[in-house]
Amino acid sequence: MLYLKSMLKVIDNTGGQLAECIKVLKKHPKSNASVGDRIVCVIQKAKPLSADTSASGNKVKKGDIVHAVVVRTKQVRNTRDGFNIRFGDNACVLINKSTGEPLGSRIANNDGVVSKQLREKGHSKICSLASKVI
Amino acid sequence: MRIYSCHFCSSPVYPSHGVMFVRNDAKEFRFCRSKCHKNFKMRRNPRKLKWTKAFRKAAGKELAVDSTLTFAQRRNIPVRYNRELVATTLKAMSRIEEIRQKRERAFYKNRMKGNKETDFLRDLELVNNNPELLKMREVELRKQAEKEARKLEMENEIDMESETEDMEVESEEEEQVEEPVKIALKNKKRTKKIAF
Repeated sequence: MLYLKSMLKVIDNTGGQLAECIKVLKKHPKSNASVGDRIVCVIQKAKPLSADTSASGNKVKKGDIVHAVVVRTKQVRNTRDGFNIRFGDNACVLINKSTGEPLGSRIANNDGVVSKQLREKGHSKICSLASKVI
Repeated sequence: MRIYSCHFCSSPVYPSHGVMFVRNDAKEFRFCRSKCHKNFKMRRNPRKLKWTKAFRKAAGKELAVDSTLTFAQRRNIPVRYNRELVATTLKAMSRIEEIRQKRERAFYKNRMKGNKETDFLRDLELVNNNPELLKMREVELRKQAEKEARKLEMENEIDMESETEDMEVESEEEEQVEEPVKIALKNKKRTKKIAF
């Protein structure tokens, strides 16, 4: 249940921390995004850029408009094998606008849980990066 | 398909029932129904709620330590498929269940042992401490007897075809008499509750 103005946690290493959804892509105008859907979002909070780590660098900064894939939702979702799964928060992974590949190279270890439905929707790259797929 | 047990009340969770909550550290919590889910969200401790298995086991109300219960535990050692092993396991399952039920029954009986005596002693003490309760019963019985006697009289009067006016007056009187008895009965109940 993510739509305009929804806030999501960014769980990859692109440097973004909090993203605000501004558009749900390729869906009915009034429908909402769920796990595996692509959204357009604005980075509202990013990791601070310090002089030492500028070489490693953040790929995004505050105010950037990027595409993302929803990987976890608080809303209960039914899986095909008969479970109703709910996660602790809403989270997304930033992706390249044209290719659809994830922008970051890894997903946070401490909260890298990702829904199994991502694989069905063709985001197997994200699944392989995640620490756990449920 | 697997039948999981509820994180909160330990009852079985069948497929497509209940909700599974996945915490961000990937720990899974399965709930059999919304009641358990809501209680979990309210951060209630299952050991403090009387309707959960956790409470019953912690309070010694159910068989908690037993060899029959260890069979159902999850083992993290993979076992190579063996047809004979499967056959014997299937055979053993029903037998173990039978033994478990027997032991549980015995446990329950043992737990309830001596309840009759304690109940009787408690009642006896109550009666000994409050002798007026018995008298109340006597008063009640006497009033009942009086009432019945009056009824008989009335019937006799009807037989004798006496005037109806007198009867009405009498019935009114009866009602007035009954009231204090009712109050006494109520009081009796109240005292009983306090005593327990």
